[in-house]
Amino acid sequence: MERRSLTATIFVYAAALLLAAVILAPVVWLFIMSISSTTDLITKPLRWWPETIDLSRYGVLLSSVANSAGQAFVASLFNSLEVAGMATAAALLVAVPSAWAVSRTPAIGWSLYAVIATYMLPPVALAVPLYMALSALGLLNNVFGLALVYLTILAPFTTWLMKSGFDSIPREIESAATVDGARLDQILRLITLPLAAPVMATAALFAFLLAWDEFFYALLFTSDQRAKTLTVAIADLAGGRVSDYGLIATAGVLAALPPLIIGLFMQRALISGLTNGGVKG
Amino acid sequence: MSALELIDIRKRYGTVETLKGIDLSLASGEFLVLLGSSGCGKSTLLNIIAGLAEATEGDVRIGDRSVTGVHPKDRDIAMVFQSYALYPNMSVARNIGFGLEMRKVPAAERAEAVQKTAKILQIENLLERKPSELSGGQRQRVAIGRALVRDPQIFLFDEPLSNLDAKLRMEMRTELKRLHLMLGTTIVYVTHDQIEAMTLATRIAVMRDGQIEQLATPDEIYNRPATRYVASFVGSPPMNMLEATVADGIAHIDGSLSSLALPDDIKEKAGQARDVVIGIRPESLSLAATGDMAFGIDAMVEVVELTGPELVVTSTIGNQRLTASLPPKSKVTAGTAQRFAIDAGALHIFDKATGKRL
Repeated sequence: MERRSLTATIFVYAAALLLAAVILAPVVWLFIMSISSTTDLITKPLRWWPETIDLSRYGVLLSSVANSAGQAFVASLFNSLEVAGMATAAALLVAVPSAWAVSRTPAIGWSLYAVIATYMLPPVALAVPLYMALSALGLLNNVFGLALVYLTILAPFTTWLMKSGFDSIPREIESAATVDGARLDQILRLITLPLAAPVMATAALFAFLLAWDEFFYALLFTSDQRAKTLTVAIADLAGGRVSDYGLIATAGVLAALPPLIIGLFMQRALISGLTNGGVKG
Repeated sequence: MSALELIDIRKRYGTVETLKGIDLSLASGEFLVLLGSSGCGKSTLLNIIAGLAEATEGDVRIGDRSVTGVHPKDRDIAMVFQSYALYPNMSVARNIGFGLEMRKVPAAERAEAVQKTAKILQIENLLERKPSELSGGQRQRVAIGRALVRDPQIFLFDEPLSNLDAKLRMEMRTELKRLHLMLGTTIVYVTHDQIEAMTLATRIAVMRDGQIEQLATPDEIYNRPATRYVASFVGSPPMNMLEATVADGIAHIDGSLSSLALPDDIKEKAGQARDVVIGIRPESLSLAATGDMAFGIDAMVEVVELTGPELVVTSTIGNQRLTASLPPKSKVTAGTAQRFAIDAGALHIFDKATGKRL
């Protein structure tokens, strides 16, 4: 490492700490809110650390008593998992072949740009056509219908990401495999896809997060426990006459857990995918 | 029987013709080098032989069988790529055996073949490693091994040494020569490096603008270049090219008062009067005493560089440049006039308009 003065070192650490504080503060506050009692949350001046730690709201939200807030929340948690999971899987299924085709055939690269262009449209513009289409297909208030809508958002994005991943894999490797006698499916299965695995993991995680956090379409296209997702359920908690901020915070903490767990599991693949976008030959 | 035959190969991309009719026949065991600067079509030609690209017109015959439209894997060829193109996710052993694996060769037989190949290339101790754990030279050996293990009719090499540093390149060059002598394989080798071409080839095809400029043995390419382009491409330092006008058997060097009396055999071919380019290899020049009437030419010495084994002297004749490679201990001073004797048999005369050898 190069020589650095003490002031510079202090400055670097201070900057890093500041960045960490800015990023972490809302999350920490969310967690504190979720374990504070309602009285602690509404006292003035604000109490930064609760007098007694109150975990009861976690019990409320995770209870399975019929017709309770808990049951609705748990149902929406599973809806979210299903919708985001299906949409992500379908997005990868679409993205991998199309991204490979675009990457290996520069002449059709424009088509990807055309698809990306649809990305520029505000979601509101598509809301009515999508609503009518879902209604015609009988897929309103249905996890499959919502997953289908999410697929249209995720597929362009994952294709784009996968294309840059495939771009970084030298074509000569595939040529070599062709000369070695591998069929197209063997080349993809044995060579290209294993090499693109880190990018695939990155694409999957980002797609999952995007679907997990989506609110607008979910609000429009779902109406009850059969298809409502987490984001909508959390909004419902805030929509009553009396809002329990602690409860909303608890729901937020619980909603953040599944993506966090997935992220932790894919950490290694993710880091290499984010940093070098692929493989060196 | 010819191992490889190319008949009037043409390749067009839209309106651009990158290969303009290549005819070539290669006997079994030959080492053919396709030599040319970038963009001359040599790699395209190799890809057409490999089947990675299809020719627009013409026919490729391998072992007296037309392979036009045949998949690369069924052409009985193996190819070594510039970037090695090893499979990064597989061990060295699996990399080498991959071609056999795809051809459903039983595992035991495959392992044996991999062992044998590794032994030839002296990489037995690397078999369990991943390509990322190898040095450039070792990767190159693995890439060669991958081609070798299948024992194909023709080996194709696409600038295989250009990613290596100078010292390693020399080692691998010798290694390739050794392999060729040992295994007697037929090789087509693409490079832009004239030294690789000269040292490795049994025959060189110098390519330019999608055509073969000259197809001959290295000796002939060097000593009897067919065109001015071939003459200037091969040799280091490159051949001196003096523009001159011939009148009555005497070549007057353009832009100077110097002249050269042409030897009789060339005098005849040059005819009465024409514009020519006189090619003289730097090593066919030697120092002559001033006033020495031996066959030679006067020049003004500008720069003297000692490279170690030789002394490279750059001088001017009028506004034209003359480079000479002399023994290192020659007495030459920059800024003085110097007479250079020329080995009379080493003159190459080209027609200035067509660039063809007279």
